Amino acid sequence: MNKLSTRQTILIYLALGVVLIVFLMPIYLIASSSLKPSPIMFQKPPAFLFAPTFEHYQDLFAMRPFGKFILNSLIVALGSTAFSLTIGSLAAYAISRIRHKRMNDVAFWILSMRMFPPIAVVVPYYIIFKTAGLLDTPLALIIVYSTANIPLTVWLMKGFFDEVPIALEEAAAVDGYGLLETFLRVTLPLAAPGLAVSAVFCFIFSWNEFLFALMLTGSEAQTATVAVMSFWSSDAVQWGRIMAGSFIILIPGVIFVLTCQRWLVRGLTMGSVK
Amino acid sequence: MAYIRKRNRRIFLIFLLPAILVLFLTTIYPMIYAGYLSFRSYDLAKLFVPRVFVGWANYREILSSSEFLHSLVVTFKLMAMTLSVQLVLGVGIALLVVQKLPGMPLARTLLMIPMMISPVIVGLVWLFLYFPELGYLNYFLSLAGIDAIPWISSTNWALWAIAIADIWQWTPFVMMGTAAALQSLSPEPYEAAMIDGNSRWDVFTRVTLPQLKPVLVSLMFLRAIDAFKIYDIIFVLTKGGPGDSTEVLSMFIYRQSFTFWRMGVGAAASFVSLVIIVVLITLFFKSLNRDQTA
Repeated sequence: MNKLSTRQTILIYLALGVVLIVFLMPIYLIASSSLKPSPIMFQKPPAFLFAPTFEHYQDLFAMRPFGKFILNSLIVALGSTAFSLTIGSLAAYAISRIRHKRMNDVAFWILSMRMFPPIAVVVPYYIIFKTAGLLDTPLALIIVYSTANIPLTVWLMKGFFDEVPIALEEAAAVDGYGLLETFLRVTLPLAAPGLAVSAVFCFIFSWNEFLFALMLTGSEAQTATVAVMSFWSSDAVQWGRIMAGSFIILIPGVIFVLTCQRWLVRGLTMGSVK
Repeated sequence: MAYIRKRNRRIFLIFLLPAILVLFLTTIYPMIYAGYLSFRSYDLAKLFVPRVFVGWANYREILSSSEFLHSLVVTFKLMAMTLSVQLVLGVGIALLVVQKLPGMPLARTLLMIPMMISPVIVGLVWLFLYFPELGYLNYFLSLAGIDAIPWISSTNWALWAIAIADIWQWTPFVMMGTAAALQSLSPEPYEAAMIDGNSRWDVFTRVTLPQLKPVLVSLMFLRAIDAFKIYDIIFVLTKGGPGDSTEVLSMFIYRQSFTFWRMGVGAAASFVSLVIIVVLITLFFKSLNRDQTA
């Protein structure tokens, strides 16, 4: 491509500046509002410099057991991640190594399982879990989130296993390793970055999820996303607490983007971009 | 691949089995259950057992109810609104951030943040911006001389309020996919086009867009699948209202099942939504296979 002129460069940076302000402003609003004293929450023009207060964070943990809800979110997210990684990476390894023309169909079938509308299965889940006595338990959410996390893990890990040289596995077989041993000692360590990326994707998805958490939990197993919504009621909206809770909930996702953005393309575009 | 003998293949199938089994039990089985419920009169407010077999009555009811058809229309309207804006904005921003200028990789990274935020939080922060009387959005608009807009309290604007929140969260997805595709394009056709003296716009429409098309088609199908499922943002911002102006299909199912406790009707609507999503998923996979062979 030909060189950009100075004028073009300036225009590009100006446009980019507007784009960045628009897309980052809501995040700045959450962070700043969570630290603003309530009287100036909606002050116009917005106060950029103000004495920050931690009262909303203190209220959040004092007025309601928000700590417990965060712990619930963590239990559910870590549980579903561990379960999905175990089952998903085994399946991904099989799909990556079996040479059969139907294997592609199996991979697509598994992937399609995460694309179904959650609302369409929420009624059956509700009835099934109610019958099984699992309503309002972390286990119910761990099971439900795995339906999205296993397909994602299979999809991501298959890509990583495809890149592990078969020669290394053959050498291990010559050394007398069985298949499971080869997988655990040779292949999986080489695909460790994939495991890390899959783990983070599973964690963030479960941490952020709202619909199932709302429908399938009550006061016991409630997660942070549902709890933060409960500060919203038609007569009094506790914006300070909503913003403080929102800020806590968005931290893992932001850290993920800042540290592993190059994997986002692979994890989100499902093979649209090679 | 000599080491993959018959015996190993059997072990591989054992590796595959748990995933298939779990997905069958947690996804296929509930869908079959939804199918079963859709033929029953299942009123949870009255008795907690599947009651009478009612044949196609639930389907007849929803297909002849204007409320259900309205929710389908709203769903596809919202899909058209969000997808078109995301496509244009996403490609536009991608063209900015792939320029070889300092700071561009950082800008790309920062722009991806919205995608990883919980949709409930996205809903809440936009509610904060739209909030009647207090919200900042109308204040910013007033600085530009635009009159206050009743974002979530007017039937004319509520769907746009939802669309804007979704556009904010998912334009970065189109940007990210397009930027990745742009960076993998080969430079030769560009050099040829430049030598021929075409303008930048001509190069974009005649060289870049045709090459991007397969990727854009797949990205749009993924967005369509997601837009069809949209729920959280609407739940936070409008709950389907005012009136039924933002009642998408998932809100219709939610209200039938959990407000009116008519789970048979909800299940029938769910089944219709499954049929539509299967069509979208099939088209998406077709679009992927086409670029592999192209």
